Amino acid sequence: MDRVLNHFIVSLRGAGVPVSVSESIDAAQALAIAGYADRQIVRSSLAATLAKSAAEKEIFDACFERFFSFQSLPSPFAAGPENGNEEQPGDMPPIGGMIMEGDLGGVALAVRDAARSVDLQSIRFVTQRGMFTARILQALQLDQLDRFVADLYREGSAGAEGTARQLEQGREALIDMVRRFVEEQYDIFARESTERIIERYLWDVRLTELEERHYDRMHFLIRKLVKRMNERYSRRRRRAKRGALDFKQTLRANMHHGGLLFETRWKKKRMNRPDVVILCDVSRSMSTVVRFCLLMLYGLNEVIARVRSFVFCSSLLEVSHIFETCPIAEAVERLRTGEGLDIHMGRTDYGSAFWDFTNRHLDAVTGKTTVIILGDARSNYGDPADELLQKISERSRRLIWLNPETPTMWGTGDSEMKLYRRLCDLVMECSTLRHLEQLVRVLVKLP
Amino acid sequence: MRDQPGKFETVDQVNEGFKSTGYICSTDIATTVYLAFHLEKPVLVEGPAGVGKTELAKKAAAFMDVPLIRLQCYEGLDESKALYEWKYGKQLLYSQLLRDKLDQVIDKESDLGESIRTLHRYEDIFFSPQFLEPRPLLKALQEERGAVLLIDEVDKADEEFEAFLLEILSDFQVSIPEIGTVKARTRPYVFLTSNSTRELSEALKRRCLHLFIPFPAPDLEREIVRHHVPNIPDLLERQLVMFIHEVRKLELKKVPSISETIDWARALILLHAEGLDRDLTRKTLNTFLKFEEDVRAVDEKLFLLVDKALKETA
Repeated sequence: MDRVLNHFIVSLRGAGVPVSVSESIDAAQALAIAGYADRQIVRSSLAATLAKSAAEKEIFDACFERFFSFQSLPSPFAAGPENGNEEQPGDMPPIGGMIMEGDLGGVALAVRDAARSVDLQSIRFVTQRGMFTARILQALQLDQLDRFVADLYREGSAGAEGTARQLEQGREALIDMVRRFVEEQYDIFARESTERIIERYLWDVRLTELEERHYDRMHFLIRKLVKRMNERYSRRRRRAKRGALDFKQTLRANMHHGGLLFETRWKKKRMNRPDVVILCDVSRSMSTVVRFCLLMLYGLNEVIARVRSFVFCSSLLEVSHIFETCPIAEAVERLRTGEGLDIHMGRTDYGSAFWDFTNRHLDAVTGKTTVIILGDARSNYGDPADELLQKISERSRRLIWLNPETPTMWGTGDSEMKLYRRLCDLVMECSTLRHLEQLVRVLVKLP
Repeated sequence: MRDQPGKFETVDQVNEGFKSTGYICSTDIATTVYLAFHLEKPVLVEGPAGVGKTELAKKAAAFMDVPLIRLQCYEGLDESKALYEWKYGKQLLYSQLLRDKLDQVIDKESDLGESIRTLHRYEDIFFSPQFLEPRPLLKALQEERGAVLLIDEVDKADEEFEAFLLEILSDFQVSIPEIGTVKARTRPYVFLTSNSTRELSEALKRRCLHLFIPFPAPDLEREIVRHHVPNIPDLLERQLVMFIHEVRKLELKKVPSISETIDWARALILLHAEGLDRDLTRKTLNTFLKFEEDVRAVDEKLFLLVDKALKETA
């Protein structure tokens, strides 16, 4: 059972459940105590020791079903009752005997053993399936079986020919079975590596080129990133919170002890969390970038004190309330579809967007605010209104411009980037997940 | 925690035992509790609000016939609230009362060095177990026959506190500088509950058995309702559970929990209902829905929901 358990744990890890060594020891102990008799109890014991969150439980359930499933296929190996064993020549490989007897269990076991001997667990890529199938068949001595069949045909007697035909049919079924087995094992063991390749790809793919089928994965990645960032930076903040003794407070708190200082009071440092105001260009070309950027910023609410978000195309509109009332993912989706938004989706006009902002929402910007503008600065040859941007810049603590285009494209055509960048404290390219990560670093590292 | 003869021999026994205390549990729950007892590991219980996480610990205490010690976590909880505290008031009072005694002990004529030396002989008097106020964690360690220690909503406490818990949960001993190390007389049986408001640390999870309690399947929930409301008509019970399960599928601010199902069942019994109908349901929605928006949302679909519940149990 230990070996089976080990394989199961490998497959769990493959599916994305991080199982530590101590947990696998626990699992083995749990099984030893609870016994293997009841499938439900085995499942519960393993779940209690190996899967440690609701999400992991779900993966665990799927894995358990796949791993401990018993396939009861109708035997593809027709048993050969009429053939006596007396005429069997000596060099039939053991697998041939099993085929003749129609011993499906034996064949399955032999396949499993062969798979172990060629280390099928190490399968990682789709392209390796053929190779592993061939190796397993070789380990089952298929070539010897083939020679044996040929010998039987050459012998020519009716009985031998019948046996040969039966063996040939069995051979096909066997190959089929091995192929299916490899397929299954690939599913169990190789998932992780495929996931990893996709993940690596997603870190560097341009968000504008991201295919919709990867959105879920991307959300997952951003959640992971946000969690890491939250952990890292909230710890730093906490250290800053531990202040010096507040003597006045301490005296006051200990008055009723007759002036003896039993309870201490500590000075509290004000936490330094950046306020963020973000202006997003939501024209069609920008929509994916905006989506993921907002997803991340709102995920970082722990680190960032307050995010106020505005979207603009031809006109500008505050959308913070949507994020306050809906779950983040849903809010982002609503922005994309523009559902219930009173915004004019005409030609992008940075000038009028800045005008709207400075006239209606300038009080959102204080000396503590970091203003982020997310846009490609393509204003369709309209008035760039850079003096308004300057006003925003002067009022804010920092002005960061995120542009999803590559720097070489800035300032070409109707792009006003060259003009705007002089007014910004920082200009960053923002087109991949990696750029988003850099943005967080910049945001938290306050001057 | 070894002296529980005949209570933890098989998973079924645990299941039966809990049933006798009034807690109907699934195989998952029974197996985990059984394993936790044998492996001497804490159990981390997660799940939506109102599925009986806290109740599980209470019933475990009843089942094993040991006291339940509860530590409610909140932001800012620290060692002095969770582990121990000195009884400052008592120390102060005693030192005042014993002033005369102290004067006698310290000879009026002796010099300062002499007095300090004399005092040193008594130095531990005021920091002795008599002046120690044990808080839940220490109390659980001191309990002679063992105890069930329930650390409720551990996700609400700070991360520092979690790290501190790790120390106790791995060795079941704490050191108090003035007294020394306090070791558990009998290992307490620990339940931690979490509502997943934040991720718990990997280290804590690794040390615990993990139990996720979802909303029960209809059959299990029916059994629970039957157990708590024994005189409920069979038809009503089936329709009611089916209805609640349909309601849980909706997007609500707070979906009805098991205890609310039971409340509702009791309310319907009081109203002498034999089966579910639209009018009655509408009037009693507020027994299991606690938000105005939720009541409105369910009311809108009431026709459909009741119909479905009736049809599926017909």
